[in-house]
Amino acid sequence: MDLNLLPLEIQEAHAAFPVALAACDELDALNRLKGAYTGREGSHAARLMDLLKTAPKEQKRDLGAVINGLKQAWEEGLKSRQAELEAARKQVAGLAAHWDAELPRPLPARGALHPLTRVMDRLVDVFRPLGYHVEEGPEVETEAHNFDGLNIPEDHPARGSADTFYLNAHPGLLLRTHTSPVQVRALKRLAPEITARGGIRFLAPGRVYRKDEIDPTHSPMFHQVEGMLVGHDIGLHHLKGTLAYAMKALFGPGAEVRFRPSYFPFVEPGCEMDVRCPLCGGAGCRVCKGSGWVEILGAGLVHPNVLAFAGIDPAEWSGFAFGMGVERMAMMLSQTPDLRLFFENDQRFLAAMGGLD
Amino acid sequence: MRYHLRALRLELPALAEIPLVEVCELLPSLGFPVDGVEARETDPILDVDVTANRGDAQSHRGLARDLSARLGAALAPLSHTALAEGEALFPIRLEADACPIYATAILELGSVQATPEEAVGLLGAMGANAKQLAAVDASNELLHRYGHPTHAFDADTLKGALIVRWGREGERLVGLDGVERKLTAEDLVIADEAGPVALAGVMGGDATKVTASTRRVLLESAYFDPRVVRRMAHRHGLHTDASHRFGRGADPAMAPVARDLLAARLMAWAGARLVGAWTAGALPGVRPAVELAPGLLNRIAGEAIPLEEAELWLTRLGCQVARSGEGLQVQPPTWRHDLAIPEDLAEEVLRLRGFDRLGSALPPLEGPPQPLESGYLQRRRVAARLAQLGFFQTVTYGFVDPEEPPLGDEAAGRILANPLGQEYSLMRGTLLRSLRATALANLAQGAREVRLFEIAPTHRATPAGPEESWTVGLLWAGQAGGEDPLSPVRSLAPEEGRAFLLGVLEDLGAVAQPVPVAEDGPLGWMVELPLAALPAHSERIIPPFRPFSRFPRVERDLSLLVDLAQGYRELADAMAASLRACAGSAFQDLRCVDVFRHKSLPTGRQAWLMRMRFQALDRTLTGEDVDAWVAAALEAARAHGAERRA
Ligand SMILES: [Zn+2]
Repeated sequence: MDLNLLPLEIQEAHAAFPVALAACDELDALNRLKGAYTGREGSHAARLMDLLKTAPKEQKRDLGAVINGLKQAWEEGLKSRQAELEAARKQVAGLAAHWDAELPRPLPARGALHPLTRVMDRLVDVFRPLGYHVEEGPEVETEAHNFDGLNIPEDHPARGSADTFYLNAHPGLLLRTHTSPVQVRALKRLAPEITARGGIRFLAPGRVYRKDEIDPTHSPMFHQVEGMLVGHDIGLHHLKGTLAYAMKALFGPGAEVRFRPSYFPFVEPGCEMDVRCPLCGGAGCRVCKGSGWVEILGAGLVHPNVLAFAGIDPAEWSGFAFGMGVERMAMMLSQTPDLRLFFENDQRFLAAMGGLD
Repeated sequence: MRYHLRALRLELPALAEIPLVEVCELLPSLGFPVDGVEARETDPILDVDVTANRGDAQSHRGLARDLSARLGAALAPLSHTALAEGEALFPIRLEADACPIYATAILELGSVQATPEEAVGLLGAMGANAKQLAAVDASNELLHRYGHPTHAFDADTLKGALIVRWGREGERLVGLDGVERKLTAEDLVIADEAGPVALAGVMGGDATKVTASTRRVLLESAYFDPRVVRRMAHRHGLHTDASHRFGRGADPAMAPVARDLLAARLMAWAGARLVGAWTAGALPGVRPAVELAPGLLNRIAGEAIPLEEAELWLTRLGCQVARSGEGLQVQPPTWRHDLAIPEDLAEEVLRLRGFDRLGSALPPLEGPPQPLESGYLQRRRVAARLAQLGFFQTVTYGFVDPEEPPLGDEAAGRILANPLGQEYSLMRGTLLRSLRATALANLAQGAREVRLFEIAPTHRATPAGPEESWTVGLLWAGQAGGEDPLSPVRSLAPEEGRAFLLGVLEDLGAVAQPVPVAEDGPLGWMVELPLAALPAHSERIIPPFRPFSRFPRVERDLSLLVDLAQGYRELADAMAASLRACAGSAFQDLRCVDVFRHKSLPTGRQAWLMRMRFQALDRTLTGEDVDAWVAAALEAARAHGAERRA
C-alpha cells in the first residue's frame, strides 16, 4: 500500500488514527471519530472518494486500492473499539443492576471549621455590608493599650494579678483581658486619616485571657468580637439599630432584644443587650436564671477620653463600641451545655458542629 | 448584692403596690440586672448586680432612690433627729486629706441590749447574723439600709486623742478578724496615742472593739477617699462591706447623719445616754457644676428631648438644676461621684426615661467601605481549604506546660508571672504540642483516624517582649478508611501518612517537613509553618486565562523494574526532564500510579507503573511521536538502574 499517493494531511490523519482511537473511552467520542474518518460527508474517506473521482485514469486503479485499504483499516479499527466499549458498558450496567444504591457510598473525608471560627466568621460577614473591616491586635499587650487608653484607672480591680495574667520578665506586659485594646490601636493608627476615610468602622475578633478557673461557664482563654464605629453625630439609636440588625442576622428575624443601661469605663453612656432566652423562649429557665433574657453583649458610646487619648477630637467625632463573647454566643446558637467542649476538640463534637443541625 | 424587698418597700412605700415580677423588670431597665430571687413566695430577697460606678446604690435606700426617680414617687422621710453637737470631749486630729470629715459621739450604754426583730430580719436577709451587741448590729443595719459605713469603738480602751493619719513603717494592727497586719505609709489609719486602732474605712481593731462588757462607745462616721480605701483593701486582701462602700465612693454628707442615726438606735436598742457629740473637719466643697447642652443630649438620644423633661429627670435624681443659656447647669448630689461630664448627665436622663424609648437607626456611611486585611483573608482561605480536605480545626489554649524546666533564655521571656498553674504558664512557641495532645486524647476516645489543624499565634521571646506570628499546624494520625463498604480500614505505612501531609501542604502551596507525632506512640505525622510561608491572599478574583488543547490527549503506561531502595523523586525528576526536553509543552504529566511488590519479581526489585500524559496545543499527536518520547523517558530511567518490565 503506497501511502505516498495520498495528500500529506491524509497521511498524518492515518498515522494519528490508532492514538485517537485508543483515546476514545466512550461511545460518543468514538462516534465523533467515526464521523471524522468514515462519515458520508466532510470526512477523510469522503475526501478520498472525491480524490478518486478526479484522478487521472491511469492512476485510478492503484489509488483505488490504497483508498480501499485505508477505509477498511479505519472501519475495522472503529468496529473493534466499538465492540470493546459496548462490552465495557454492558459490564458496568450489569454491575449497576446488582448494586443497591442505598449502600453507603465512598465520600471524600469530611473536616470542619471550629464552631467558634464559624461564629466569628459569620459576625464579620454580617457586618461587612455595613462597611466594617477587620482590625486585629496582639494577645500580649501593654497596660497602656489594655487599660490606660480605655479610661480604666490604675487602681481598678481588674488590673490586679488576681484577674489579669502578667508576663514574668516584662512587668508592663499582660495577656489582653478583652479585645478592646484593638480600639486603642486602631483609633491611634487611623486618627490621621479619619476625615479622609469618613470615620472608622471595624470588627476585631480575637482571643482574650482572664484568670478564671476552668468550669462549665468559664475558661482562662476565650474569644471576643469587638466592634467600633466613629462618625459624625453618633447616638444610642445608631448603636441600637446596628445591634438589632446584627442579632436578627444571627438569631433569626424573630430575635427579640432589649437594651439596659450598664457601665464600662471606656463608654458613656454604657449599656448591655439581652436576647430572649433561646432555650425557654422567655418562660424562664436555668440558663436565663429565670428572667427569660440572656445577656449577650456590652456596648456604649465611645467615652470622649478614649477618642482624645487616640488624638481624635471628641467635639467633632462620636461613636459607639460593643463587645461580645463568642463562646456564649456559640453556646446559645447551638445549645452546647458546657463551654469546655469548645477547647476539648473531640472530633465527634467538631464533626457535628461542622454540620447545619 | 442582696436586697430585701421588704426593706426596699420601707424606703419607697409606692413599691408596695408593684408586684415582684414588675420590680424585676424595672431594676434592669435602670441598669440593675436581677441575677436571682430567693424566697420568692414568702419574703423575697433579690440578688441585684450593681456596677462599679454606682457605689451609691449599694444600700436599700440607694437603690430605692433610683426607683423613686423613675416612678416619680417619694422616698420615706429619714427618721432622723440631729444630735446637738457640743465641745469636743477629746481632740480628734485629721492629719491626712484622705479624711476631710469625722463625726463622732460618745454614748453610755444601758444595762439591757436588744436588737429589734426587724433589724435581725434585715441582717439575716443580708446573710449576716445579728450579734445582739447593739453597737455592732446597729452599725451593720445602717450600712445595709443607708449605705454609710460606721464604726463603734469601746471608748474605755482608747488612749488619749484620736488621729486620722498615714501609717508608719513597722506599725502593726490586729484587726477584728484576729489577723495581725504590717502597716505602711500608704495605709490610712485611725490611731490613738498608743498607735493604730483601725484601718480607715476597711476594718476596726481587735483591741478596741465593742464587746458585751463595753460600757461606753465612741462612734465613728467619716468619709474616706475611695482611692485610698481601694488600695488598702487590695494591699491587705481585705474586702469588707465597709471597704466596698468607701472604695466606690460614699456620701460625705451622710457622715454626720449616719452618726445621728446610729446614736438614735443605741438609745432605742440599748437605753444609751448621749455623753457628747462633735465633728472634726468639714464637708468637702461642692464639686464644679456640669453643663448639659441640648445638642449633646439630642445627639446621644437621636431625637430632640425637651429641656424641661431633662430637668425633671435630673431633679428627681437629686441634682440641683438651673437654666444656663441654651442648656442646663447641673450640680450632682453628694452621693453621685460618677456624674462628672455632660455625657454622664445625658445618660441619666435617658436611663430614667428608659432605653426602650430610644429610636433605632443604622448610621449612614460617611466614606467608602474598607477592604478586608489580606492576612485575615489568607487565614480564612487556608482554614476553609483544610476543612475541605478533611481536617478538623481545633482551638486550644495559648499557654502550655513548660514541660522540662530549666527553660532556656528564650522561653523564659514567655513565662507568665501569675499563671493558673504550671500547666498553663508558658506562652507557646509551637502548636505541635497542643495538636499532639488533642490527637492522643481523640485516639484514647476511640477515634480511628485523626485529622486536625489549628491556626493561632505562636510566641517567640524578644528583649521587648513576646512577639507573635500566626502559625498553622497540621496533624494526621491513626488508620485510614473504613467509613463505607468501598474503603476498608487499613493501616498506612509510615511513609504514607507523611506523604499525605506533604500532599496537603503542596495543595496549600507550601513546603515543610512533617515530623512523627511521637517516637514510640501511635502512628502519625504533624507539621507546622508560619502563615507567612504560605501564598499570600491574592486580590485577583479568577486566574489569567491559559490556553488549553482541543486535540486528543494520549496516555501511556510504562512499567519499570526498580530497586527497592530507589528514590521516587530522583527517578521521576530525571524522566520528566528528558520528556520535557523532547516533547516540550506536549509533555503534561508523569506519575507513578501503582507500586507492585511480589515474589515473582527479581529479588530486590519492585515494579512501578509510570503513567505519562501528552497533549499538544496545535495538533493531534502521532503514534510515532509518542513512541519516541516514551523511549526517551525509558532511557532516562535506565540511567538510574531501572529496566522495562516485560
Ligand atoms: Zn431561659
